[in-house]
Amino acid sequence: MLEPLFKSEIKEKILLYLYTHVESYPSEISRAFKFYINAVQNQLLNLEKGGVLYSKLKGKVRLFGINPRYPFKKELEALLEKTLKFIPEEEKEKYYRPRLRPRRTGKPF
Amino acid sequence: MSIKDLAIYLSSHLNKNGIETVLSGGACVTIYTNNKYMSYDLDFVLLSHVLPKKIKEAMRKVGFREEGKYFKREETSYFVEFLQPPLSVGEEPVKEVWKIKEGSKVLALLSPTDCVKDRLAGFYHWNDRQSLEQAILVYEENPVDLKEVERWSTNEGMINKFELFKENLEKRKSEVKI
Repeated sequence: MLEPLFKSEIKEKILLYLYTHVESYPSEISRAFKFYINAVQNQLLNLEKGGVLYSKLKGKVRLFGINPRYPFKKELEALLEKTLKFIPEEEKEKYYRPRLRPRRTGKPF
Repeated sequence: MSIKDLAIYLSSHLNKNGIETVLSGGACVTIYTNNKYMSYDLDFVLLSHVLPKKIKEAMRKVGFREEGKYFKREETSYFVEFLQPPLSVGEEPVKEVWKIKEGSKVLALLSPTDCVKDRLAGFYHWNDRQSLEQAILVYEENPVDLKEVERWSTNEGMINKFELFKENLEKRKSEVKI
């Protein structure tokens, strides 16, 4: 949906994924969408270089998220929020509706 | 060479090569606090889009090599990074930059007020206490428009954390008096 703007399906999906998951890492994103990991990594690094994303090391994993200091964060998130409204329910459920609230250790799912 | 001298030298060199920048981040704190806080990162915000090749070429002329996201010169411990435009603090564009002149060389950098905002953004969004400490250090040694910082903080939705910053300033003042 945002491909004409972002010129890349991968970039659009990465941004939607990070917007809905708050933080993620390249192999998780590539697994979710079955994209090549190199393609995901390149897009993440480009977005980080442009200031759109931040990254941080957690253990051995580099996590990415939308940079709270990006000057157009609010506007970008509004655009992503609106995009989500146009995504079919099934696709939203599959990719963009993670459980973010905590769950106590040992509590059955 | 101090970080200030290096920043002035690089900024002028880049300017001569058609690359306009403004110094931001921790290096401004080092400059405004006369080295009370030591940063080894020189974050230059580009004022317009510049081809990476052009930056690489300009930096190569002064002995800096690209290493990942940074530029490094062997005999110095400083890292140089170029950040993409726009020049901003939080959600807002920077309206006025300060200049430090040394002879014919000029360094454009964030004003002390914007430097405080820049550091507070680190505290507001990452909960980084080191950034809070740096904001306090800059405030203590420079003319900073606190009303403007308060307005900006409100706009960022961070008035509660601004109050914490103010409490820390008051606390520091009373400690100095004792």
